[in-house]
Amino acid sequence: MEEKILAILEEHCEEALQYTGDNMMEDGVIDSFTVINLVSDLEDEFDIEIDAKYVVAENFKNKEAIIALVRRLVEE
Amino acid sequence: MQKNHGSAFDRVIVIGYGKVTGEVLRFVCGRQEEYGYRTEFIEHEVHPFSVTEKICSENHIPFARITDKQELAGIFLQIEEKTLIVSASNNFIFPGALMEKENITVINFHNALLPDYAGRNAPTWVIYNGEEETGITWHYVTGGVDEGDIIIQKHCGIGPDTKAYELTERLMDLASEAFRECFGDVIKECAAARPQSLDPARRMFRSREVPAGGVFAMTDTPEHIYRLLRSVDYGKNDIFPPICTQIDGRKAEILRYRRISPDRRRDEEGTVCLPLADGDLLKLKYRYTDQ
Repeated sequence: MEEKILAILEEHCEEALQYTGDNMMEDGVIDSFTVINLVSDLEDEFDIEIDAKYVVAENFKNKEAIIALVRRLVEE
Repeated sequence: MQKNHGSAFDRVIVIGYGKVTGEVLRFVCGRQEEYGYRTEFIEHEVHPFSVTEKICSENHIPFARITDKQELAGIFLQIEEKTLIVSASNNFIFPGALMEKENITVINFHNALLPDYAGRNAPTWVIYNGEEETGITWHYVTGGVDEGDIIIQKHCGIGPDTKAYELTERLMDLASEAFRECFGDVIKECAAARPQSLDPARRMFRSREVPAGGVFAMTDTPEHIYRLLRSVDYGKNDIFPPICTQIDGRKAEILRYRRISPDRRRDEEGTVCLPLADGDLLKLKYRYTDQ
């Protein structure tokens, strides 16, 4: 699962894979449009619904947070 | 800071939310020494991924969050200095009395080629109407909505698979580019603006209007259905309610959609594939809503 998520992330923002901070948005690594694309592809890939309540900066602060979010939703 | 190195304004206030707002704010901050004005920022609508507060903090720019319309109008009306207000992706409607103040100039970014597609959610309507081209407009703000003189416009194409959020992103990039081009003339009050040719019968799109009423029939052409779905697709920003239809006599809402090639077709529960004219399929994932 992690590999697939990272592949999707790489497709939309290669820089995010190297990022080691804790706020990709504020640090200008991704923007709100990258998040929209990511969410769309993650939903398709894992056949999950990422509700709008989960689409917040905290869940997209770095690649680890994105992986944790998807893992949680897949296991629900 | 020395005053007025060419700026006709003492203050520049940026108001808005989203990507273009951040780009505009950075640019305005970066030019204040050169032109000799003070920059301020007002956040009227809170955006979950806003970076404007950080930009203000880094550049020592006053940041104010004012979500109440009347309070904001009151603040604007009290301004006495010569002020340029830059409305960059902003839904606050400036009061008519503000437009009458000689010390206030307001410019606004509109996400379509005015005078066409005035009002709200222009990217939605250009996609839904099957337009092949759209663009952006920076214009002076007057008492009427989206009616002021045009400062600059830029065009872009709309592809056959373009979704509303993709077009919005492209338009915001164009808006930033156009702003950088015209700002020098605007700040010196020498921009060559041209009046709009306003048709009295022109349509003004309202925020609550939804293409096709947000409903389609399974007998509609797949191309129409695809256009409708793309036109309201702003990701998780619930600008529009889910698009609905009837499947097997039951009410259903569309969860996701995608153009796929026929070899990727999988018959799964809760999905349906419709044939597009070019041989691809429009895959719809839905859920029933009548239970």
